[in-house]
Amino acid sequence: MAAIRANILTDAAARQSYVDGVLALKAEASGVLSSSLGIPGPPRDLATYDLFVVWHHWAMSLFTPPSQGDRNAAHRGPVFLPWHRFMLIFLEAQLQRVLGNEDFGLPYWSWSDDGELPLGEQPQSPLWADDCMGSDGDPAQGFAVTSGPFSATSAFQVNLAADSNGVLRTVSRPLRRRFDVALGLPPTGQLQAALADDDYDEEPWSTDPVSFRNRLEGWVPAETQPHLHNRVHVWVGGDMLPSSSPNDPVFYLNHCNVDRVWSAWLQDATGPLYLPDQFASDELFRHRIDDPMFSIFTSDDDDRWTPRRMLDVSDTYTYDNLTLT
Amino acid sequence: MDDELREITEPFAYLPHVKAGAPPTGGHAHDGAIETVREAVHRGHRIVVRTSYEIEVDGRPVSGHLGVANDGRVHYHPVPNLSFASAVDMVKSLIDTFPDDFDGGDGQGHGDNGGDHH
Repeated sequence: MAAIRANILTDAAARQSYVDGVLALKAEASGVLSSSLGIPGPPRDLATYDLFVVWHHWAMSLFTPPSQGDRNAAHRGPVFLPWHRFMLIFLEAQLQRVLGNEDFGLPYWSWSDDGELPLGEQPQSPLWADDCMGSDGDPAQGFAVTSGPFSATSAFQVNLAADSNGVLRTVSRPLRRRFDVALGLPPTGQLQAALADDDYDEEPWSTDPVSFRNRLEGWVPAETQPHLHNRVHVWVGGDMLPSSSPNDPVFYLNHCNVDRVWSAWLQDATGPLYLPDQFASDELFRHRIDDPMFSIFTSDDDDRWTPRRMLDVSDTYTYDNLTLT
Repeated sequence: MDDELREITEPFAYLPHVKAGAPPTGGHAHDGAIETVREAVHRGHRIVVRTSYEIEVDGRPVSGHLGVANDGRVHYHPVPNLSFASAVDMVKSLIDTFPDDFDGGDGQGHGDNGGDHH
């Protein structure tokens, strides 16, 4: 049976299961030692949850192709949406396993609902309550999260973080957040503009084209502010900013909503559901519709996990509501 | 998809792949100057703009991957969701985002997450 993904603010059972599942994956030894992956810093036994941090960082570090420095194996190009859908499906399966619940569905954070609130009220959303994601960081404690299930006083510790030179290192410290209240969360108008764009993506398959993918990822319209997905990362701040951003469980709530927006777009799409096709240049490897997506959980010759495979996942999960206002 | 997912999400079934998964680059720190190249074609003429950045904070080099879009906006790989009007704005954001890497100073961050949205 397909899992149903629900709004974390209206489904208390999904909310509690998500918190419990994240803590379980964070407490589960993966059997992987950081030094075995070439990660500098004091060697650490990585949790299963931490492997998703590694996966995201490595995907972001893999330029596609290596001769340019913009598009990578998961961002700033067409594969952004299917790659993150792939990642969420894997995490959801792991959460189902540790929860012993095959019907568990990842919850989403409908951030544009909060984006309609006055700026000063946005941090007061129930999302940041002690029974959900916990608080903003405390400036007096280095922006450490000080309440909720992932706080400095809980067992939740950040084990890996990218530094200012983009190198992933082992660390041992609390989770950090630094809300950018003045920026504001994405308003509904940005969402509607993205949904109204019929073109999934277009040449040169970078952050430049005005396309649905670029709008939702947050690069266009090229104004002085980040949009939609990017804006949520920037608004939360702290550990949500570097390439190790899956450290914060809010990462998955953001991306689940991004995925929900993509699902709504796919439902009403009138043109090609995905571009580029497989006839595009080899320079676009990892982004063409039948290319294997970069993964650390599958072998290099496992070609089952492609963007095409991600276009219809109705046998795996559905959303409780695709009405985006 | 369910059976295939269960096959590859079995505990520890994926370990051999994890250990083989590191991309050959292993990150993008540079040893010296950071070079960027912008290319465009205008009326049949090929334009190439090469820029070299040497960035320091308190004498310590900043050496992650930096790119410049054709509209002149700067992006820096370690803060992947932001772009900046200038490299100076980018470095200000790094100081705020990575406090462990920039100790000392007056400790008075400007209170947001950087970028050029203020």
